[in-house]
Amino acid sequence: MPDGPLIVQSDKTLLLEVDHPSAERARRSIAPFAELERAPEHVHTYRLTALGLWNARAAGHDAEQVVSTLLEFSRYPVPHALLVDVAETMARYGRLQLVQDPAHGLVLRTTDRAVLAEVLKSRRTAGLVGERLDDSTVLVHPSERGHLKQVLLKLGWPAEDLAGYVDGEKHPIELSPVTKPRTEHEKAAAWEMRPYQAQAVDGFWHGGSGVVVLPCGAGKTIVGAGAMAKSGTTTLILVTNTVSARQWRDELVRRTSLTEDEIGEYSGARKEIKPVTIATYQVLTTKRKGVYTHLELLDARDWGLVLYDEVHLLPAPVFRMTADLQARRRLGLTATLVREDGREDEVFSLIGPKRFDAPWKDIEAQGYIAPADCVEVRLTLPESERMTYATAEMEDKYRLAASASGKKEVVEQIVARHPDDQVLVIGQYIDQLEELAEHLGAPIITGATTNKERQRLFGAFREGEISRLVVSKVANYSVDLPEASVAIQVSGSFGSRQEEAQRLGRIMRPKADGRTAHFYAVVARDTVDQDFAAHRQRFLAEQGYAYRIVDAEDLDESPAGSPAP
Amino acid sequence: MASSLPAAPAAATRHFADDLRQRSDTALAALLRARPDLAAPSPSTLRSLAARASSRTSLERALARADALTLQVLEAVLALEPVRPPSGPISTEMVTWALGGSAEDGPLVDAAVRRAVDQALLWDAGGAYGTTLDLRTAPGLDELLGPNPAGLGPHLDPVPDGLTEAVGDALGSARSGTGTTAALDTLLAEAPPGARAILDALAWGPPVGVVPAAGTRPRDAVNWLVTEHLLVRSDARHVVLPRLVGLALRDGHTHRAAHTRPPEPQGRAVRTATADAEAASAALELVRRVRLLRQSWDENPPSVLRAGGLGVRDLRRVATLLETDERATAFVVEVAALAGLVRDDGDAPPAYVPTVTDWDDLDDAARWARLVEAWLASRRAPWLVGSRDDKGALRAPLSPDLQRPWVPRLRNGVLRVLADEPTGDTVLAPTPEAVVEVLTWHTPRSVPPATAVEGLLAEAEWLGVTGAGALSTPGRALLATPAGDVAGALRAVLPHEVDEILLQGDLTGIVPGRPSRELARLLERSTDIESRGAATTVRFSPASVTRALDQGETADGMLDELAHRSPVPVPQPLEYLVRDTARRHGAVRVGTASSYLRAADATVLAGLEYDPTLVGLGLVRLAPTVLAASVPAATLHEALRKRGLVSALEGPDGRVLVARRGVTGRAMPAPRSAAAIRMGTGSDVVDRAPDPEALVAELRAVEDAARAGARARADAAEVARTVSTSGGSLPLRGYRVVGPVTRTETPGDRPRQGALEPLPAADAPALDRPVTRAAVPDPDALDDDPGTQHPADGLALLRDALRDGSTVIVEVAGHTGRLERRELKPLNLDGGRLRALDPDREAELTIAVHRIASVLPTTSTP
Repeated sequence: MPDGPLIVQSDKTLLLEVDHPSAERARRSIAPFAELERAPEHVHTYRLTALGLWNARAAGHDAEQVVSTLLEFSRYPVPHALLVDVAETMARYGRLQLVQDPAHGLVLRTTDRAVLAEVLKSRRTAGLVGERLDDSTVLVHPSERGHLKQVLLKLGWPAEDLAGYVDGEKHPIELSPVTKPRTEHEKAAAWEMRPYQAQAVDGFWHGGSGVVVLPCGAGKTIVGAGAMAKSGTTTLILVTNTVSARQWRDELVRRTSLTEDEIGEYSGARKEIKPVTIATYQVLTTKRKGVYTHLELLDARDWGLVLYDEVHLLPAPVFRMTADLQARRRLGLTATLVREDGREDEVFSLIGPKRFDAPWKDIEAQGYIAPADCVEVRLTLPESERMTYATAEMEDKYRLAASASGKKEVVEQIVARHPDDQVLVIGQYIDQLEELAEHLGAPIITGATTNKERQRLFGAFREGEISRLVVSKVANYSVDLPEASVAIQVSGSFGSRQEEAQRLGRIMRPKADGRTAHFYAVVARDTVDQDFAAHRQRFLAEQGYAYRIVDAEDLDESPAGSPAP
Repeated sequence: MASSLPAAPAAATRHFADDLRQRSDTALAALLRARPDLAAPSPSTLRSLAARASSRTSLERALARADALTLQVLEAVLALEPVRPPSGPISTEMVTWALGGSAEDGPLVDAAVRRAVDQALLWDAGGAYGTTLDLRTAPGLDELLGPNPAGLGPHLDPVPDGLTEAVGDALGSARSGTGTTAALDTLLAEAPPGARAILDALAWGPPVGVVPAAGTRPRDAVNWLVTEHLLVRSDARHVVLPRLVGLALRDGHTHRAAHTRPPEPQGRAVRTATADAEAASAALELVRRVRLLRQSWDENPPSVLRAGGLGVRDLRRVATLLETDERATAFVVEVAALAGLVRDDGDAPPAYVPTVTDWDDLDDAARWARLVEAWLASRRAPWLVGSRDDKGALRAPLSPDLQRPWVPRLRNGVLRVLADEPTGDTVLAPTPEAVVEVLTWHTPRSVPPATAVEGLLAEAEWLGVTGAGALSTPGRALLATPAGDVAGALRAVLPHEVDEILLQGDLTGIVPGRPSRELARLLERSTDIESRGAATTVRFSPASVTRALDQGETADGMLDELAHRSPVPVPQPLEYLVRDTARRHGAVRVGTASSYLRAADATVLAGLEYDPTLVGLGLVRLAPTVLAASVPAATLHEALRKRGLVSALEGPDGRVLVARRGVTGRAMPAPRSAAAIRMGTGSDVVDRAPDPEALVAELRAVEDAARAGARARADAAEVARTVSTSGGSLPLRGYRVVGPVTRTETPGDRPRQGALEPLPAADAPALDRPVTRAAVPDPDALDDDPGTQHPADGLALLRDALRDGSTVIVEVAGHTGRLERRELKPLNLDGGRLRALDPDREAELTIAVHRIASVLPTTSTP
């Protein structure tokens, strides 16, 4: 195809021209093996990585398919070295297989003896494998299944895990066709999974284990519920915090055949183990006298499915625990696979490959998440504050800039522009937030707020009893506030990209009247605040959210409702 | 064993000489062309030519170039010479048979025979057989080909009776199909066990065997064979198979099979389009790398190692810059030097610097053509970089140590192997081993080292002569005879130029193809390039925008240009990035000053700033109460004292120092200007203000030489005044270019602005100008000095043109010393360099003034 939509670069990036007539076809064809790296307005960037290619192999695609796809859609001749490399990389997958031997149990088997010899020689595999049964088979201790997979991936010879999963304890779960009302006022409504949610569930189920990437507000919980229904077994759900745990419970009760009694909460507050148990990462990683006290939870029942919410936040100890759970089906859910600690490959080897991914803008275009208008408001600091900033110590600079006093007026102005919206003010520094709360006369939720009070305030906000809420980073994740349509970010955790995305996610639930959501980041000009903001925005910009920049002084003139140009 | 050969060398020489003598002039000329060593030094007579043609060294040289088939032919003729039938010639046909060749091989063997005859490796022993040749090997060849040609043992002369009976006329009967082995088989039927096996073992050579221990069964067999004359004792411990027996066992053949053709090279098929695309991207990458190299060395010239070459650390630095490994980097450096784009500046200590050339003005394809043509003739072996020589020293790129005279021939051979592959939808990309195999067939007696072949193949790949291992279309054009349009061939396979950049909200931009030159320049200046290839992905960052601003871009200019080149509006974040960066850019400024002057009272300083007596101090007002000066603090102090102003010296902490005699302060180091190290090709090197003694000596020498030729020049002066164009007689001669912009510490010293400074040389009287100039500080020497008006009519014209914005015709001494005439619009004349626009080529170029031979006004522009 001389005029294809794809440009294949020798550095293994694929550039997809979005406006090309066959772009959609090309996108679908390359999605199984290429990682979407950036999805801005005109040209999306995909990357071929070893992980991605192995994932494709795991999903049953072969090198020939990949090569012919590239050749079919490429506008220019595909670099030869890249084709060779694709073939070689893909050929590495599956030379080693983890299988159940009827006589010996779990074994590592190879079709290429040299490869087995090579990996066994490595010091890293020492202790993970047992007796050598013959030239091409070696015993593996079942408890080392995860570690071994991790090590083999690092050695560049990823093992194909054919050892299967334990069935787990059966426990029937079905999706209910109508939602159960939450309150007396609410009516039961018919619902069904959205097409992309169903695709995600299928993608996961066929793959066995893996990660589903969906934007905030796109209904990841429902994907989880769908997976549970498909599995029909007892399920362990790991979430970030208690508020999120309660939301999961509510949502499961609302949309599945599960009753409150079947769902247990295992958190700092309660320690229930039920057929479906929702536990927080925090409780799992609690250590007393150097031991994880709640580790037994993982073996408390014969779980048929383990679900990880917000997998990008999975703490390192949970990774280690997960290594021992390789015989159970695992589903990871996230909006952004970007990990600030760069441990994406551990997510891949321990939880599983990415099974489903959709660019945010696509889902927005389908109307499942609210369109969002992102605005960066640049505030010029007054002379005195600039001087303080200029002479401050390096480590204080961000705090100084982020909590600039002028932000108060800016927030006030923005709030005034949205009299009818539910507005969230999000920030990092408590004193700044308290000041803002006082200034706006709005309630505030921070880490110090009790769970009960949090629930109450979130509830009131949800019901529309209060329309302004000031929150700290406790509300970054997994707080479902469907009607929130304006978020004002005054400060954040430095340059965290996923935080920015998560905060935008707070307001992306589709609104009843189809309103556009507004996300404001208030930034002090010419300071590190601005640099961090630029870094934070990178993920969203790559997802196609173009930030508009408005000077704080011009805020009055710029139209509030207009979407980004 | 040679002693057993019948041919007496003396007699042969005569015959051989006769053969030569009887050759036509054309044939002899062909011989001299084929074996050039015979012609130098030129032989006095044909006899001495014949003697030289049969000398060992000359034959060795000829054999080194002979291919496998030719060697087989020579061996066959040599083997057959003593056993030839008494009444028949050793004809081409017989040779073909002996080689075991089939009917189709006939013409090839015939051609090989003719070539060997043309090269006087074979000759015709007599006209007795009409047009049929009776072939003989050139005298001396027997020594070179060894005692056992084709693995056949010595011929016994006279042939023992028993032997004749047993093998008969091996050749004749074999060719007539009567079968030689029949008699032999009959004889062997009576042989002790093992005899047949012994013969078979020796049949295809080597024909010499060790005699088994006495009393064993094999020994009995050997004894029997010796008795029957089927083996001959050569000494106490060895037996040898006589040639006739050998031939009989080989059914009359000298060889198993004729190697008439080179082996088919092994490799994988590559689509032609792929090969061309890979070649195009390699070519662009190489050109880019050479450009980066030149830029980098312009700013920061690496020094030349004492033994010549580039140091390891500098090589690594370049490798980092070029984002590649050291092997590829060494090649880039070498090829840049080959094309004359970088060179040793010959200074003390020497450094590598980019040369001033028009390379920068060419388009990518033409630049590539320069590189690749330079490479084609190169005798350098850059693949040796990083290996160690006999003394254990690391071989460095650009070192004289990398010169290898055989490289061009080998390169030619390697490329010929590639070029011999048929073209079509796919082309074969042979493996290096396969190439070595083919080359081995071509010259079995001088097998090329595999590393050299691999090195050359890698070079071809880096150059884009090959793509994915197969010869590319531009590569084919390069090898074509007569040479094709190399640049054009590359241009044809380059991805089409795109003049458009898609700007995106995440501060990236994508050029969906090969950026045009202007676009590439814009991107290079103002973005960080993230991905290169068929398309280019760039990212705008504060750092990249700052870089553009540093190079004189403005925010508006940049945004306008981007908007102009983007099919979509410039995204707002990008606009903010550019504007914000521009706003901050230049907020803090850095300049050079040697000392400063401050006072609480601004009016005091105002008075000093405009005081005509203090002009030499270079006072510049930085703030109402601060002046900067270009002279050291002590000088400033003195000058102010002289004017009657009592100043105090201040320390770095702002405290007043007690003035001591001799406190001079530390002078600012003179900035090193890139302009200073720009240099012309050839010997026209811009002088870098050498040490005074050397300068004087040089001037003296020029003077002496000039005095000798003064008279002649006086006549020429008239011509020079009218700005003559005759062969490099430079009207600017007598002027030396000094630079860089150095400001010396004593104010009395003249600031040198890299201006044209007249030499107090003997040229001057001839050019009607005052001889010497007083050493008065006069920074505007160029404009004010009455002396410059006169000889430098050219300069005056340039300056006029500069002022009027008109064009002039400039004759410049080119690389080769030839004068090139160009119509130029001068843009700037400074630092001994003319920056000008060439409207015809739409290119800007910089010319060292000393290379300008003459300047003429354009008639078209008044």
